[in-house]
Amino acid sequence: MMPNSSISSMINPVPGGFYKMNTKEKEKYIEEFDFPFCDEASKYEKITKIGQGTFGEVFKAKDRKNPAKIVAMKKVLMDNEKEGFPITALREIKILQLLKHENVVNLIEICRTRATLDNKYRSTFYLVFDFCEHDLAGLLSNVNVKFSLGEIKRVIQQLLNGLYYIHSNKILHRDMKAANVLITKNGILKLADFGLARAFSQCKNGQVNRYTNRVVTLWYRPPELLLGDRNYGPPVDLWGAGCIMAEMWTRSPIMQGNTEPQQLALISQLCGSITPETWPGVESLELYNKIELARGQKRKVKDRLKPYVKNPYACDLLDKLLVLDPQKRCDADAALNHDFFWSEPMPCDLSKMLAQHTQSMFEFTMQSRRQGVLRQVNTPWIAYFFNRKTAVHEGLTFYRLDLRSD
Amino acid sequence: MAVTPCWYFDKKELRITPSSLDGIDYDTELRYRKDGARFIQDTGTKMDLGYNTMATGVVYFHRFYMFHSFRNFPRYVTASCCLFLAGKVEETPKKCKDIIKAAKGFLTDAKFATFGDDPKEEVMTLERILLQTIKFDLQVEHPYYFLLKYAKCLKGDKQKLQKMVQMAWTFVNDSLCTTLCLQWEPEVIAVALMYLAGKLSKFEVMDWTGRTPKHLRWWDMFIEDVTMDLLEDICHQVLDLYSQPQTNPMPDSPPLPPAPQIQHASVRAAITHSENTRSPIATIVQGAPIPTVSMIGKTVGKNDSKLVSTNGELSKMIVDPLKPPPLEPPSMFVHAPPHHHSYPPPSFSQPPPSGPPPTTGTLYPVYPPPPQGAPYGSSRPPSYYPSNI
Repeated sequence: MMPNSSISSMINPVPGGFYKMNTKEKEKYIEEFDFPFCDEASKYEKITKIGQGTFGEVFKAKDRKNPAKIVAMKKVLMDNEKEGFPITALREIKILQLLKHENVVNLIEICRTRATLDNKYRSTFYLVFDFCEHDLAGLLSNVNVKFSLGEIKRVIQQLLNGLYYIHSNKILHRDMKAANVLITKNGILKLADFGLARAFSQCKNGQVNRYTNRVVTLWYRPPELLLGDRNYGPPVDLWGAGCIMAEMWTRSPIMQGNTEPQQLALISQLCGSITPETWPGVESLELYNKIELARGQKRKVKDRLKPYVKNPYACDLLDKLLVLDPQKRCDADAALNHDFFWSEPMPCDLSKMLAQHTQSMFEFTMQSRRQGVLRQVNTPWIAYFFNRKTAVHEGLTFYRLDLRSD
Repeated sequence: MAVTPCWYFDKKELRITPSSLDGIDYDTELRYRKDGARFIQDTGTKMDLGYNTMATGVVYFHRFYMFHSFRNFPRYVTASCCLFLAGKVEETPKKCKDIIKAAKGFLTDAKFATFGDDPKEEVMTLERILLQTIKFDLQVEHPYYFLLKYAKCLKGDKQKLQKMVQMAWTFVNDSLCTTLCLQWEPEVIAVALMYLAGKLSKFEVMDWTGRTPKHLRWWDMFIEDVTMDLLEDICHQVLDLYSQPQTNPMPDSPPLPPAPQIQHASVRAAITHSENTRSPIATIVQGAPIPTVSMIGKTVGKNDSKLVSTNGELSKMIVDPLKPPPLEPPSMFVHAPPHHHSYPPPSFSQPPPSGPPPTTGTLYPVYPPPPQGAPYGSSRPPSYYPSNI
């Protein structure tokens, strides 16, 4: 029996009628049609799998005609989709087509597999990106990779440049984390994974946006999202940028909560208690009265980070990014104008340092997982927050497993 | 690397389509395109989809048939699929089965049979073909956004300006039934149809914000190298719609040979045969009295029914008994959407004409008679018109 329910035999009820193709002919037509704008995925040769997560698989591949050209291919997961091509993938494609910037990952094209009987005449699609050798999470978890202060400045400057650009284009990333920050072997940073991104609008005429607050990986999630805000904006990404910036020194995520209330507790421990005094309007957020918030906590961002982040400008910028009230949080433009980037040592190129690490950090990540090797990770920051050894361990394990998923 | 598509075609290219190579003559293809576009607007309206979503769907539809023949892909299935995809792209998603249900209401059983045994599967499979055909070029801009943007800059009689914008808005809706979106950028279409609406509503642009001595006309500020001939040509392509004989909106398929194009003593004819070839539109507006011209842009109300009912063909027309409230002061443009998609419709208190207007001899759009349960003639304007303030 042919799995052809999708291509109906009803199309041509009368022989010689208007619609010239019967089912068979239509299948053949679809199979053979050369879509001029959508190449076949087979033009690339898969080299290795570099990612696996809820979104599907990512492969490293090379162009068969130009083997020097290395790409990353992200498969669009279409199984279990009741409503056709997933809206999340459409969103990502739309946003990636809009965003063309040195610090945003470049979508080269979308490829397809040929529709055949074997796949029930349903093509699979791949998003094809310029390949980036490293991701920041991978680099930071490798103790052999050492960033100088100038190099750290270059990383954060590029990160903020990328954010400035996407926010200017009215796009929120909504999934800032070290694993989504890619770095090429030439030291160019690329914001990646726009799978959760969306367009935003400034509210006008008292209209309030109703975005989902179930976004951003927990450890990088800003307090307004944890308190149920649905009318958020660019500051959510700046919080993540602050977390990532601190991580440049701590080498592991600075607040690794296991649950949302725990994450809020960690935030209060660092940024002080969440009160209407420090954050006017917080009382109107949905969960403000439903979650028990730590009281009497003092803001200790600078104090706690000082042992890691010795540079006072860096501490000051972190203090301006990790601000509870999103309205008072520094935006990308202001952050880029901060003295941190305009004082000695000036931001400097990463390519020299990266040249010493020829193995892609993706491969590094995959390899160590395959071998079940636990990499040595600096843990003092985590230990600082978690007293119980098990918690540290669980956090770490989770982090490692999560490293390559979305 | 795949070919980079250009979504704009010249008139010659528009005549060598897969359908024409498949033996479908040009007029018939145009009619199919119109059917599909109208069907998307009807179905979208019934589902409360916004004007941008419908327009995006229509553009996908027109692009699709630059690569496939109407003989290979039945137009109402394609149209439903385009609307389904556009809904997702414009952040107004509708369930596939609901679209099919709404679509069914506009189709005869014979036409609905083109959806096959499993209509949902048919649409889903087609979606992948559609995506590949349009190169995942999902984001499409429409003249609506530019219309509002440009109108904000124009100075003149505020009431007339508002009327002009409403009229232009209607022309933009109707322009989707033509292949204009395959010929010109939305900016150019917006300018042309504002020019047309301006002439017809006698709106005179006194001045405009941002004017410099270099600007001969207001649109020089926004688009370059647009000749009057080009603008006129675009206007005529839309006006052509209104001089086509009214056909059954969804004729049975397989389609019949095209009906002979009867040119009544229509406005179109008046334009074509105008002595003044330089600016025929200007001529008809300023020249010969065309009693119904001023009707454009008005909602067909009780008091207007006399005018309308002189046309025998329109006796079936449902006249909106509820005349909308008078126009709000034209502060409306202040709240025009900042972006071209996913935002609430622009703010106008009064919809452009929503009833089926007269046909030949007028400048009215030829709408199909209202199918049962359709929004035509209801007091609520179709959502692809700008609605509430």
